[in-house]
Amino acid sequence: MILKLAVRNIIGNGWRSLVNVLILSIVLIGMVWMQGLFDGWSRTARRQMQEWEFGDGHYEHKDFDKYDSFTWDKSNSKIPAELQSLIEQGKAVPILISAGVIYPQGRLTPITIKGIPHDQEILEIPTEYLRVEDQTGIILPAVIGTRMARSTHLEEGDILTMRWKDIHGAYNAYDIQITKIMDTPVPPVDDSQVWVDFTHLNEAKALQNSATHIVLKDDSDIVKNEQDFRFITIDESMQGTDALIDVKRLSGNLLFALLLFLAMIAIFDTQILAIFKRRREIGTMIALGMTKRQIVKLFTIEGCLYSVFAAVATSILGLPLFIYFGVSGYKIPQEMSNLSIAGTAEPIKCYYSPSMLLSTFILVLLITALASWMPTYRIARMKATDALLGKV
Amino acid sequence: MTESLVKIRNLSKLYPTGGGGFLALSELDLDIPSGAFMGLVGPSGSGKTTLLNIIGTLDNQSGGEIEVLGHKVSTLDAKESAALRAEKIGFIFQSYNLLPVYTVYENVELPLLLLKMPKAQRHEAVMQALTWVGITDKRKSRPNQLSGGEGQRVSIARAMVKLPQLVLADEPTANLDTENSLNILDTMLQINKDTGTTFIFATHDQKVIDYMQRVVTLIDGKKAKDDLKTGS
Repeated sequence: MILKLAVRNIIGNGWRSLVNVLILSIVLIGMVWMQGLFDGWSRTARRQMQEWEFGDGHYEHKDFDKYDSFTWDKSNSKIPAELQSLIEQGKAVPILISAGVIYPQGRLTPITIKGIPHDQEILEIPTEYLRVEDQTGIILPAVIGTRMARSTHLEEGDILTMRWKDIHGAYNAYDIQITKIMDTPVPPVDDSQVWVDFTHLNEAKALQNSATHIVLKDDSDIVKNEQDFRFITIDESMQGTDALIDVKRLSGNLLFALLLFLAMIAIFDTQILAIFKRRREIGTMIALGMTKRQIVKLFTIEGCLYSVFAAVATSILGLPLFIYFGVSGYKIPQEMSNLSIAGTAEPIKCYYSPSMLLSTFILVLLITALASWMPTYRIARMKATDALLGKV
Repeated sequence: MTESLVKIRNLSKLYPTGGGGFLALSELDLDIPSGAFMGLVGPSGSGKTTLLNIIGTLDNQSGGEIEVLGHKVSTLDAKESAALRAEKIGFIFQSYNLLPVYTVYENVELPLLLLKMPKAQRHEAVMQALTWVGITDKRKSRPNQLSGGEGQRVSIARAMVKLPQLVLADEPTANLDTENSLNILDTMLQINKDTGTTFIFATHDQKVIDYMQRVVTLIDGKKAKDDLKTGS
């Protein structure tokens, strides 16, 4: 009954209701779009990082510190038997990491050398270009990314010198040839990275079948005897990227919190005005047999209904926008995609999960309910006889 | 003898003011039988509306006892008095107090919604009430599209739609011209005769007083006269 009366009141309020619904709807469209964009970004980044860097989780040497290249010579171990078995079955891929230097156009450039088997099929890195055709080993094939190529002015076919230090501390050098410049959407496998064959890097480092990382194709293949390695899930690997996306999300949320606040002020104002303008109406309802509690409920439901109508309006007005950005995606501007953030190199397709839609709607509904309920305390203070006379 | 619908004993109502309080009603005794068509008359400030509000359980007395439809008003909590009004008491106001965003039909339907009456029954009752007051053709209009007389007819229909035992009308003709006033009064008198509903008016309009079977005159909150017209 209360709901029916509330619907009648909202429809009867005409333009005032429509404006409130439209304002709320615009805020909802913005919130859903923005949340969808960040969720889509997170999903894209996760997929790309799985495809290019971490697979379905990876083992990392217990001493490895990605921020301290001076420790890298000691942060590798011979691959444990169980993991070696997975590698041989094509379920895992080892990566050996070393610090090094290259000299493109004679300029000293510190790099990260990564050794990966040329026949692996787990990561998207085009390792087939690492196959050493010239077994004399004079020139080692290498793959770099487009960003690395741009920053070092290297092109496919270029030959240059690469230096590194083996585990005994002896410096050595190879000539490497850029056999492929790969276009990867994941900056960490591109920036300052030179990919070479795993076996050859082991030889160059005076190591034998040692690895820093061992990437798994499927996280169900976690082994018991991992020895010097520890398993890092894809969620853990994503923490940095997720944190960065969350920072962006927070700044976006602040903007929409402000817009939501303004929308709530509009609803609060409407309800306050309604209570003043509708004093006689409230008195009449009491005379007709409504309790004050029912009237408070009526006004609160009226306010909440703005959210419900706004959700309907959002699904109608926002649908083309949601579909466009869900299918075509949003291309991050070039300046931003140059930052080392995964997921920005290709258009981000907004992802609207049911839980996100529901939580956004519930948030707006709760805030609307609060903004609608707060002014109603005046009703509880009203004397029916005063209300009938239009007094508060 | 007809049983009293409203029993008032030694009723008083004191409104607190800066100067110690204003006594709106004092030492009032009154019995109103079922089926009455009576008026509370008197000058402004004589306590007519205050008494009507107390009978309608919209206000509380300061002293004395009042029993309405078998319920002691002082013992009713807010929920019980709301239920009593919803089920058994109809109100007619001087300025009609129609809900502006509702149509005529919806205004008349409102008391039945509060009683949670099924839709089909509601429709029948609303149409019956609109027929009584002769305003079925305006059922889709909004209050701002009605004349004063039509507005008050809708107000009567809203009061009568639930077939209450008691209707309280506060200056129902104050905003109407003579012709409309007489039409409205004829309508209410006819309903009183047809349904046996008790009507209590608060008025100082002579046209209304002329229609009353019984006139209780209040002066300064006290009963000054109680005239029962014979043969009416």
